[in-house]
Amino acid sequence: MGNGITLALKPEVTPSPNQESQFDPLYGFPNGRKERVMIATEEEMISAKLPLENRDYCAHLAIKFQQCRKEVWPWAWKCAPEKHEYLSCQYEDWILRMKEYERERRLMERKERIRKRKEKQGE
Amino acid sequence: MAGLVKLSKFALKISNKNSLGLVFRSASHWNKDWKPSPFPETQAEREAAAKKYGIPVEQYQPYPDDGTGNGDYPKLADISTERKDPYYPYDYPEVRRNFGDAMHVDTDLYSEDRHNNTPQRYSITFMLCCFLGLMTVSASIFIFLEDYKMFRPILPKQLPGKGKVHYTFSPVD
Repeated sequence: MGNGITLALKPEVTPSPNQESQFDPLYGFPNGRKERVMIATEEEMISAKLPLENRDYCAHLAIKFQQCRKEVWPWAWKCAPEKHEYLSCQYEDWILRMKEYERERRLMERKERIRKRKEKQGE
Repeated sequence: MAGLVKLSKFALKISNKNSLGLVFRSASHWNKDWKPSPFPETQAEREAAAKKYGIPVEQYQPYPDDGTGNGDYPKLADISTERKDPYYPYDYPEVRRNFGDAMHVDTDLYSEDRHNNTPQRYSITFMLCCFLGLMTVSASIFIFLEDYKMFRPILPKQLPGKGKVHYTFSPVD
């Protein structure tokens, strides 16, 4: 709830959860950043009838999990390792988005700081 | 036995009345004894009618003689069963009625599981205003807060696609 209030009161230093990053993703990384790798191909996802919202960077694990369930059904608990693997991937994805949000917030504050300093110098 | 059944069926055909009516009492059908007497014109007739229905003469008032067929049946106050005092020791507490009490013409309408005409505490206008006021306030708050939704501090989900590049936070080796 605090985020909603902060976004309403200080929109210039609070990133919206619905907008992509407005900054260069490589800014501030002198050694560069590893690209995220998509393992499942589009044909695989279409063939597995994977819902569109699940076609993220964990899609290959989702397919694996669904395949396992289909093979062992009704003994679905046998797919616990696959499920754990898939949910861990989703957790990591969530952490990454949180980090991206924090990076966005700090960059916005930096931008605001620079703007204020320039304003001061201009006077 | 078969002959009896045949006879009763035959009797049903030749008469439009229930042929077993002589043997069995019809509990569900109309009975000529339930028909009210003609509309009372003279004072003596009024007194006789009031006595018949067990009502004091000064309280007795028949329905207007407009062809509805109510005859001398008394016009009673429109008081539903639920409106009557529940703590009074009635002879029949489950229907809140005493023995010999004249029944209302629409008594089937005013039974406890049907219509209740007890006066309400607030008028219908006041109740409508309260309802609409509450709904308006709630809707206003809802619409106002549409732009100020709470959220978790994360950026939108990174979905791969053509021409899209997403990065992890680990440096390139």
